[in-house]
Amino acid sequence: MNRGFERHRSIIDFSISSLIRRKGKNLSLLAVYTLVVFVIASTIFFVQALKREAALLLGESPDIVVQRLVAGRHDLIPIGYVEKIAAIRGVSDVKPRLWGYYYDAAVGANYTVMAADSDPPPAGGVRLGNGVASTRRLSDGDVLTMRGADGTPALFTVEKVLPEASELVAADLVMMTAEDFRTLFAFPDGRATDLVLSVSNPRETTTVAAKIVRLFPDTRPILKSEILRTYDSVFDWRGGMLVVILSVALLSFIIFAWDKATGLSAEERKEIGILKSIGWETADVLMLKFWEGTVISLSAFLVGTILAYLHVFFFSASLFEQALKGWAVLYPRFRLIPVIDPYQLAVLFFLTVVPYAVATIIPSWRAATVDPDAVMRS
Amino acid sequence: MTVIELVNVTKTFNAGRTNQFKAVQEVSLSVTPGRVTVLKGPSGSGKTTLLALIGCMARPTSGRILLRGVGKPLFPGAEDNAELEISSLPERFLTAIRRSAFGFIFQQFNLVRGVTVLENVMLPAYPTGEKRGTVRRRAQGLLEMFGISRHASSRVDLLSGGETQRVAIARALINDPRVLIADEPTAHLDTGLSRDFMEIMGSFKAEGKTILIASHDPLVYDSTLVDRVVEMRDGRIIYGGDES
Repeated sequence: MNRGFERHRSIIDFSISSLIRRKGKNLSLLAVYTLVVFVIASTIFFVQALKREAALLLGESPDIVVQRLVAGRHDLIPIGYVEKIAAIRGVSDVKPRLWGYYYDAAVGANYTVMAADSDPPPAGGVRLGNGVASTRRLSDGDVLTMRGADGTPALFTVEKVLPEASELVAADLVMMTAEDFRTLFAFPDGRATDLVLSVSNPRETTTVAAKIVRLFPDTRPILKSEILRTYDSVFDWRGGMLVVILSVALLSFIIFAWDKATGLSAEERKEIGILKSIGWETADVLMLKFWEGTVISLSAFLVGTILAYLHVFFFSASLFEQALKGWAVLYPRFRLIPVIDPYQLAVLFFLTVVPYAVATIIPSWRAATVDPDAVMRS
Repeated sequence: MTVIELVNVTKTFNAGRTNQFKAVQEVSLSVTPGRVTVLKGPSGSGKTTLLALIGCMARPTSGRILLRGVGKPLFPGAEDNAELEISSLPERFLTAIRRSAFGFIFQQFNLVRGVTVLENVMLPAYPTGEKRGTVRRRAQGLLEMFGISRHASSRVDLLSGGETQRVAIARALINDPRVLIADEPTAHLDTGLSRDFMEIMGSFKAEGKTILIASHDPLVYDSTLVDRVVEMRDGRIIYGGDES
């Protein structure tokens, strides 16, 4: 067998036995390191998941939403507007929407109740978002009880629980027929919550919006770009908070690595001297220390990343919840859809594993370049 | 035929500073193979520094150190008795020579604490890239030879003084060196254990190994095994500098 391979194997074996020998120190080191990686990785996963939710939300948003305002207050819009707006040049489709928020006092959560405009559930049936289904512990075929406009309970059969394509978009959704929606909320006929428009040429949306206002001065068209701005500011604000957390985590990592880089215990120093005096080259000592650092940093990276994954995607980023998730109020339980960007993982790897491995080598290199005869005098 | 030759060797520490001092001054010495040479002298006389220079642990400030018949592992094409001047060799080569040609027994034994007896003995062989199994068998053989094989899996810090020294001797022999260097080997041993140590050295002498010991213990330098005593004081050889 190759001598170089045997040499590496022996040194790696010895580095592992050295780590076990100082298990108290190394376990505490591993714990701190894992915590730092955990915070950084949680932050990265959380931001990624939020961005994906945002992208899904924006992908589904209409080109223009038309609301009606009465003295500046949002009011229901007459369905009669649809025909005239559809006749405006450039408008390819207009649909009235029936939707509204429903507060469920039993669990203290808000739902978004919506009438399905295509492929509706059968009358008396509902399709539920994952969040609602899990909050109310309902599955297909169960009965959902809601409080009707007249105060009496309204019963709906759960036709289907919506797949977890996007938790944020669909989690709080209760979808029913337009008739059931009107009955539940005592919603007046001939009215809708708002209108959604598709515009063939995105560059014409401003012109179309101006024409709508001219045609119906009591309306307020909201453009996709405005929705985009709103979500951007919402996610940017959260992103800003995360940058603060990330900076703190990175700073603590730098302090931690610096401390490691400058400190080598007297025992470790002596051990390096002994190894040199019995015929280890400086390169062998550095390899030993490199492997020690790599084992610690790689373990911390793997454990920290896995814990962060579980924390964000299975435990709903519970440690960040209060500070970062506005939806916590809406959803008693909230789960982000797992999404991992390999590029960001690679960046995390190079930000944590590589500097640490280097940081462990520097003091060892300093100690290993001293003449081994110092050991004979110790 | 000398195995080690020192020509006007001087070693200065802290050169150019206020605390500069010469540990070894103008030392010339020839060491014959297969014999026991003792460097005798009080503390601070330069014995340990001289051993460090001979054992490739430090470079002399001036002078030359020549080794014969130790360069084979470094230069496979070299003749068996080829002469090698080590004074100016790069660190990598010095380490390789130290590893293959010299076995060290330190005053404080310098074993790695917390590591098993067997692994301590095997440590000098790791950088050679020799098969682990072969090294392990050789280490076990050495432990058996010194009657401490039952401690093979014990941590070295749990052994008695005499046992610790035997582990240190076994470690010094793991790469089968031609020269054994011992610095004050009996400083921490009682009379019985000191005699045992000299007996072990006697067996190595019989095998043809060259032995260099620094000591101010009469049990060592008055031993019948010793072929030559070189007395040092203030970094200079004051007696026994020529081959006796």
